[in-house]
Amino acid sequence: MSELKNWQELPYGGVILEAGSAAKYETGSWRTWKPVTHRENCVHCLKCWEYCPEDAIVLENGRDSAGAPRKFVKEVNYYHCKGCGLCIRECPVNKEGKAVALEFVRDEV
Amino acid sequence: MKTVTAGKPKIVPITGAGACAQAMRQINPDVVAAFPITPSTQIVEDFSAFVANGQVDTEFVTVESEHSAMSACIGASAAGGRVMTATSSAGMAYMWELLYVAASMRQPVLMSLVNRALTGPINIHCDHSDSMGARDAGWIQLYSENNQEAYDNLVMAARIAEHPDVRLPLMVCQDGFITSHSIQTMQLEDDKAVRAFVGPHKPHHSILDTDHPVTWGALDLQDYYIEHKRGQEQGMRNALRVIQEVSDDFAKTFGRHYGLFEDYRLEDADIVLVALNSAAGEIKEVIDEMRAKGEKVGLLKIRSFRPFPYAEIGKALSGASIVTVLDRSASFGAHGPLFTEITTAVYNYSPNRPLLLAHTFGLGGRELTLRHIEHIISESRICLDKGEVGNRQGLWVNVRGDKL
Repeated sequence: MSELKNWQELPYGGVILEAGSAAKYETGSWRTWKPVTHRENCVHCLKCWEYCPEDAIVLENGRDSAGAPRKFVKEVNYYHCKGCGLCIRECPVNKEGKAVALEFVRDEV
Repeated sequence: MKTVTAGKPKIVPITGAGACAQAMRQINPDVVAAFPITPSTQIVEDFSAFVANGQVDTEFVTVESEHSAMSACIGASAAGGRVMTATSSAGMAYMWELLYVAASMRQPVLMSLVNRALTGPINIHCDHSDSMGARDAGWIQLYSENNQEAYDNLVMAARIAEHPDVRLPLMVCQDGFITSHSIQTMQLEDDKAVRAFVGPHKPHHSILDTDHPVTWGALDLQDYYIEHKRGQEQGMRNALRVIQEVSDDFAKTFGRHYGLFEDYRLEDADIVLVALNSAAGEIKEVIDEMRAKGEKVGLLKIRSFRPFPYAEIGKALSGASIVTVLDRSASFGAHGPLFTEITTAVYNYSPNRPLLLAHTFGLGGRELTLRHIEHIISESRICLDKGEVGNRQGLWVNVRGDKL
């Protein structure tokens, strides 16, 4: 978060003049639990990315076995992740119970 | 904009509500969203006729409730329009949540409020419990003694509310039935002259400006909420200056002078009555009668209740020996809201510290006659002679079972 402003510097009525400025707002400190990715077990179905309310699942470009371009799960953006656990709940690998692709662990304060 | 007639001002017989509808026609707002309620109905009724007749360019939104009316006003204002509405009593009470939203979003929504009692038991007649309850909502409140003042205040309203140092919603108050439904003669200014005085509306971060997208009404927590509130308070403080500037310009243009309050025969008055709206007219009548008999009595009539001009009022009351405040609303378990403001002004800004006497009157349209006012003045004289208000403090006027 940038330095906090005085009341004289603020636009009237709390209007936000910059589109997409919510990305600057740090919500990671709200977290008490955090998701940790285990990429060796991840099937890159992108369910976690789809369900994440904060857009905190970071993807990267890659190619599938046939060589076509596709997205892969890269990591969790802990600046925005509030630790809601939706990704843990929706992960199909976790649901099967044989392996853990996303693990929910107590966050260190 | 529709073409308007250029001509001279006219003296017309009109009701207070009709006068406000005429002001709205001349202002030609972009959007009006309203739900008619007694006694403000005629404003909305007349205005919808202007819309149907093509006399205005206004988008008239017939909403299903006052909650929706104020919501539509806020949305239209954030979209960059000049927006007006009218309501009374329970209608404004139903807008409650949105009154605060309009003020905190700094949307200069303009309201013609016809003061009426709040329900319990149900009553449609005049008192000020609606606007007094809303005094902390962040709206500028201008009070009007008669049709002419209600009209003039509404003509001045846009320029005050939309001033870049203010940017706050504004309500013009007049007494239900007593003013809103009584036909009096008043000067209706020329359409073109009013439109020129009001001037065009400048949108402020319009949500329809897609080249510059903005967010209105976002969540505001511990880190910024109080800074936004402080800015809002500054708008209200600036309004004291802006109301006077716009009023001075109004006087230059139309010839009628207004201050933040009116002092009537105040210079040498021992006894000063303080009142709002229509009661001031009767009080002036009695003051003239009693002055003729040698009683030094005067009136201070509040025009701007929010913002409240403490220093100016304290100074104006510094020559008085007793100040008797007539509240047309009750704050149960406390003195009336006008009395507490006057007390604050006098305590801080009147070095002589006059006696202060609180009276409540006129709830639910109960009459305040000339004889009652005479009686209040003679009771004030008794307090003055005794040097204390004693058990007269807080008496209600013209209530069966009580003495006053």
